[in-house]
Amino acid sequence: MTDLAGAGSPPHDVDGRLAAKDGDKTAKFVPGQPDMWAFVLFETLIFTGYFSVYLFQRAQHPESFLHAQNQLDLRIGVVNTIVLLASSWSVARCVEAARAGAFRQASRNAFLTVVFALVFLASKVCEWVLQIHRGNGITSSEFFTYYFFLTGIHFLHLLIGFVVLGVVIYQLRSPARRSQNLIETGATYWHTVDFLWVLIFALLYVVR
Amino acid sequence: MSAAATHTVTPLTRPGGSPFHRIGWHCRHNPKRELWLAWWTTVVFYQLFFVVFFVITRTQPPPNPGWDTPRVVQWFHNHHNGLLIGFAIMFVITGMTAASNALIAYSMRRMSVSPAFGYSYLVLYSLSAVPGMLLLCLVLTVGALRPDRDPELIQWLYDFAFLSFSGTMGVFLIGSLVWMAAILIDKHGVLPKWFGYLNLCNALTEVVVAPAWIFHRGVFAWNGLICWWINMVVFGIYTGAFIVLLRQMIQREDFGTGPLPDLATTKELDRSGDAAVAR
Amino acid sequence: MSDIGINDAHGAESGRPALRRIDGELILWWTLPAVAIIWASAFVLFPGFTPPMSPTMSAEQVASFYRDPHNLSRIRASMILFNWFCVGLIPVLILIVMQIRRMAHRTPIFSYCMLGCVAGGPTLFLTANICWLLAGFRPERSPELTQMFNDLAWITFTSQVPFLIAQSVILALAIYVDDQPRPVFPRWVAHFNLLVAAALVPAAFVALSLSGPLAWDGALSFWLKNIAIAVWIVVMGAVLGQAIRRERADYRQRVEQDVPV
Repeated sequence: MTDLAGAGSPPHDVDGRLAAKDGDKTAKFVPGQPDMWAFVLFETLIFTGYFSVYLFQRAQHPESFLHAQNQLDLRIGVVNTIVLLASSWSVARCVEAARAGAFRQASRNAFLTVVFALVFLASKVCEWVLQIHRGNGITSSEFFTYYFFLTGIHFLHLLIGFVVLGVVIYQLRSPARRSQNLIETGATYWHTVDFLWVLIFALLYVVR
Repeated sequence: MSAAATHTVTPLTRPGGSPFHRIGWHCRHNPKRELWLAWWTTVVFYQLFFVVFFVITRTQPPPNPGWDTPRVVQWFHNHHNGLLIGFAIMFVITGMTAASNALIAYSMRRMSVSPAFGYSYLVLYSLSAVPGMLLLCLVLTVGALRPDRDPELIQWLYDFAFLSFSGTMGVFLIGSLVWMAAILIDKHGVLPKWFGYLNLCNALTEVVVAPAWIFHRGVFAWNGLICWWINMVVFGIYTGAFIVLLRQMIQREDFGTGPLPDLATTKELDRSGDAAVAR
Repeated sequence: MSDIGINDAHGAESGRPALRRIDGELILWWTLPAVAIIWASAFVLFPGFTPPMSPTMSAEQVASFYRDPHNLSRIRASMILFNWFCVGLIPVLILIVMQIRRMAHRTPIFSYCMLGCVAGGPTLFLTANICWLLAGFRPERSPELTQMFNDLAWITFTSQVPFLIAQSVILALAIYVDDQPRPVFPRWVAHFNLLVAAALVPAAFVALSLSGPLAWDGALSFWLKNIAIAVWIVVMGAVLGQAIRRERADYRQRVEQDVPV
């Protein structure tokens, strides 16, 4: 099959990168829509607010928090983190491939990201079920309230990430729609999901 | 509408003179007077809403769900007059929310997306006022009406009011998502993409408030740091943003069917139009 | 359904009249007298309106009102009737929205505002109705509970005028702004609506006192409000009927002129 990159690639600018289809001058400063970066910043601020509240409460009752934290399995947390980091890697590869015009490869990487995300999703749900069976529900102790809240809100961002990845894959599928700008925007969002998880992992699992 | 809009319109000279004269002129001749009327109604409504809820009735920030029954009765006693007068004002002005919803539905109509988005939003938010705000006004009024009512009933009314207010989540959640989707798909650039994402933040606050239905104390209660304070900050920023953006949209409006011209172009055209007439 | 924003008033300028579909509107209009008669009957049937119950009744008195077997059947019958038909005027209100569309406005903002109000008013009437039905469902329960449901019903019924006020104000403004040689509604309809809106305002303050003109059985909150609503229904019904008939005549004329095309 003829190389898709040769047949359908948009014009390259001086740097050899794809000229942004939307003609957005600021695309040269940040990858993807600057609007997405504004959103990322805002969400990070809100999460910082939640983390601060958590840390403050933790400082008030260190023993009960520590006792509850011991119920968490660090290994599951580590595996989750590695899976998400791998998904970030694959989405970055996807962006690079799209930039070079290798859209089949980009598609593959996007699907790989989805697979990693599903693994994370399954593992998270299993962990929740495990904890609830052990008797640690959202109302059982203060630590577990925060645990379910933070992982829950992150899980929601992950679900939104599926929609975003869907948009990215939709863009990659057809030559008529490929917008490098949009693909980079989607990747930015995905990196944020990963970044937020790393923070949550550090706070809930590691910091004792 | 498009056929009528393609022929050129001679620019109208805006009059000078006293503010009343100018406002009167605008009411009679400004082609965008309906939009400005809706926008000003929205601004005035939110100001009055703030004054009624935060100052007169002092129901926001909300009182504590963890209080025992005698303390709740005491709260009603302390707020008796404020509650009755403040909510009576709400019973007169709540209709102003229709203007806000109409303007937002109009923004979606101006976009390149299907009219279904605008209609969905209109229906969702029109029915949101009853469970999401009027129930609180009504129930607290009934609570304050007879101070000698059985304290258990007063506590029930107290819970009903504040939970219905904070805890009516679905309409605002779905409504915000509808607006977000319309903005992100829109090709006419009516509203900036970052505001589309801000709608997502607003929708997420409706999810974050869910624990208020479970907890009586702490940061996840209906008056808690996470479920109320942080959420209110996001909501305040969101409301401020859309009021400013809708104003810009009205200024940019050209009554056409294509992309909306951006603000700089509109201001230049206005200035050159005035200059041409002055010559 | 055609897009609500397309404005018929400009249709003539483009050369080809944009004929909107108006079949069936007269049928919808005839629901108004039917619903009005049903409402009036239910209103008179409900023992709590004839004469209006006093807010100063004690819990025991309220409970005995609902327990009285002579009252109870009338309460249930009238409230069930209201439950069926309290949203019955919505089609007529939408006919008004359709007429607002015909006005010479640049944007559909007024019709959207009106749509929003139409959704809110009947919902509140329905809420009050449910509270009355609840009060009458287990009359043997504690008098305090019955009194609370009764309070909720009366306060909702009386004070929930915001959407009615907004409706009238929006309609008045829409008429004032309707700049055409033959406006859809005559000017006096706008003045009338503003008057009705003003008449409804005192009812919002019903909770401020348990006796006197502002109380829910008083001259302002009960009689003025309900009479204003009744008069509005009658007058707007007549004016609307006139507007619809005129539109149908215009429509027939345009169709006849269009034939050779």
